[in-house]
Amino acid sequence: MENRPLEYDYTIAKMFMFTTIVLGIVGMLIGVILAFQLAFPGVNLFLGEGLAEYTNFSRLRPLHTDAVIFGFTLSGVFATWYYVGQRVLKVSMAESKLLMTLGKVHFWLYLVVVAAVVVSLFAGVTTSKEYAEFEWPIDIGVVVVWVIWGMGVFGLIGIRREKSLYISIWYYIATFLGIAMLYLFNNMEIPTILGTSAAGESGICAWYHSVSMYSGTNDALVQWWYGHNAVAFGFTVPIVAMIYYFLPKESGQAIYSYKLSLLSFWGLMFVYLWAGGHHLLYSTVPDWMQTMGSIFSVILILPSWGSAINMLLTMKGEWQQVAASPLIKFMILGSTFYMFSTLEGPIQAIKSVNAIAHFTDWIVGHVHDGVLGWVGFMIMAALYHMAPRVFKREIYSKSLMAAQFWIQTLGVVLYFTSMWIAGITQGMMWRAHDEFGNLAYSFIDTVTVLHPYYTIRGVGGLLYLVGFLMFAYNIYKTMSARPVEERELQNASPMGA
Amino acid sequence: MDIAQIQAYGYFALTVFLVLALYGYIYHLYTKKKDVDGIDYESYSDMALKDDLDDAPVSPKSDDKLTP
Amino acid sequence: MFHWLEKHPFFFAVGVFVTIAFAGLVEILPNFAQASRPVIGTAPYSTLELAGRHVYIKNSCNACHSQLVRPFKSETDRYGHYSLSGEYAYDRPFLWGSKRTGPDLWRVGNYRTTDWHENHMKDPASVVPGSIMPAYKWMFTNKADIETAFAEQLTVAQYFSVTYNEPVPMKDGSSIIVKMGGSVAEAKAIALEEAKLIAADMRDQDVKDAVARGEIPEIVALIAYMNSLK
Repeated sequence: MENRPLEYDYTIAKMFMFTTIVLGIVGMLIGVILAFQLAFPGVNLFLGEGLAEYTNFSRLRPLHTDAVIFGFTLSGVFATWYYVGQRVLKVSMAESKLLMTLGKVHFWLYLVVVAAVVVSLFAGVTTSKEYAEFEWPIDIGVVVVWVIWGMGVFGLIGIRREKSLYISIWYYIATFLGIAMLYLFNNMEIPTILGTSAAGESGICAWYHSVSMYSGTNDALVQWWYGHNAVAFGFTVPIVAMIYYFLPKESGQAIYSYKLSLLSFWGLMFVYLWAGGHHLLYSTVPDWMQTMGSIFSVILILPSWGSAINMLLTMKGEWQQVAASPLIKFMILGSTFYMFSTLEGPIQAIKSVNAIAHFTDWIVGHVHDGVLGWVGFMIMAALYHMAPRVFKREIYSKSLMAAQFWIQTLGVVLYFTSMWIAGITQGMMWRAHDEFGNLAYSFIDTVTVLHPYYTIRGVGGLLYLVGFLMFAYNIYKTMSARPVEERELQNASPMGA
Repeated sequence: MDIAQIQAYGYFALTVFLVLALYGYIYHLYTKKKDVDGIDYESYSDMALKDDLDDAPVSPKSDDKLTP
Repeated sequence: MFHWLEKHPFFFAVGVFVTIAFAGLVEILPNFAQASRPVIGTAPYSTLELAGRHVYIKNSCNACHSQLVRPFKSETDRYGHYSLSGEYAYDRPFLWGSKRTGPDLWRVGNYRTTDWHENHMKDPASVVPGSIMPAYKWMFTNKADIETAFAEQLTVAQYFSVTYNEPVPMKDGSSIIVKMGGSVAEAKAIALEEAKLIAADMRDQDVKDAVARGEIPEIVALIAYMNSLK
């Protein structure tokens, strides 16, 4: 090597930026298809009768959730880790051959697992547990990928120049540990080939099939302890890690209160895990757990808002930046949606509200104002901020970015408002009685009434997808935009017209 | 003492411990304002703002202290 | 103590882990011994029912249908008695679902028939006008995987002490025996016997012919499972 000054090495970050965008498009496209299938059932046959088995709602639904969670979001988490991690630890990936190799292995194994997931879910090979649909061979792959990422994280921390760990690093570490624990416990299963070989009937069944270690109520308990906290450690913790880095960096403002960020961290870690019980209100799990889930969900507002308000106050005195930069708009609206959905969630976790909301579209609406408004916006903002630094070129078009912002905001608003109305309407109709105490509506009445809202939701989702395609195009064109100098990259990202 | 009781006592003791720890932490942060190395907590924000490879770390690891 | 933690990543990680694992330890583990005993009237799944359950899972029916009746008058009026924990003792995995795009199915065996299911799976809107459920026609031609269902029976019998071939008490004081074959051939024969009873109530000639030939289409297994939900 020549005697060049040491630079941060973004090779791995670039690779994961690529999968973030590709898997984002795939996941959101499937989501839009699903939305229109509910509004217009004929869409179930959009590739014809022959392929109906693979294009109907129920077969595609796990693909949508897993593509956006483990494809789009997780890729975004990895991409930002390989970017932020180096910078706040002040150490370059180029300094360690081992970490570089680990990073590459991490990426390629991740791709292999993604491919395996796509094939298996299309084939209908699933354990049925939400966001944990993968059968045991893929679970092993997931664990390997995760361990390799963890080795990379702690390896980089091990050779750092900065003694203290920045708050974002805390959140990345928590993401690693949280998902590791949850995933392992929720996916405890016994491959059926073990049972058959003991009975002298080896090799008679599908080799990949397994039985859950837990049954019935316990299985539900573990699943929602996982399901809720997969949201915590996939959709909240690493996204908070991103905003704690990217918003101060992009705006040039120090975090409003670093102390508050530390407190919110410990608060969030302690409280979040308890709240899973709110998915099981009025089910057959013990009452005290349901109550505990409810109470802790409400307490959860505090640490969540601690982070979100900290972010908004970081912009104190600098609000003109929000007007001027679409990139900062994404992040500020993102933290606003975070506040909004962390208020909405606890409201739905109150038992009497949950009695109406559970099993309805209101829950779907809640999930989506969180993921579209908060997770999606924040990951796109992070990639927009990274692009000029990674490619050493200015962002291709500021006006395209601004247009994208408004299109997607409109999409999110259409999405959650229609789902609110749909959910509350259906929840109230299910429980309506006539004057003689009989049920007022048959089930199908409560379905057909939702048609307009399902249509509006489909349009909202489509707008968001259009915005995401604009984002992909903008990033793609950035790779050939005007080159920028190092000094232009201090804070606000350079943008073309 | 059956498992439910152990569970209840354990839950209570750990919760009290964690609440004390959290409030102790808050008290520490807002009275001391600085950590053992004498660094103001708020200056840790600079880890994000001054994050180029040649920027000086907020608190360098000991073996790096000699490098300018 | 805290600033020390913040500069020692390993102990920091341990601290975070203890904090997040705490809830799981207290909330989830201790409940395990108590909740999984079957109530009177709950029997293990037969080979064919289990194969049907696999069809249900394969097509993610649980994405739109719940299997959990909550203790509200509106739900017990619509679906029957509210769910009891012990009723799920043999459910691995549980299939409560999280979204009721279609109605709850936990007691569907009480009020729907083989004939109804057959028509419904072929063309949902023909039985429920306005239905937005897609048709599942491939279930009439795909073959159910009896071998995997049998393997699952062997596994749960060995690892979770599920008792097959022994009398199970029913609510009315009688008892039934759920059979598990001793070999693959025997298991298939038992499943086929059950399938013949279902096929006798069906109209689709291709399905009837297939069962007569000794094959079991997915739809037959699925209906056996649906009928077992009571």
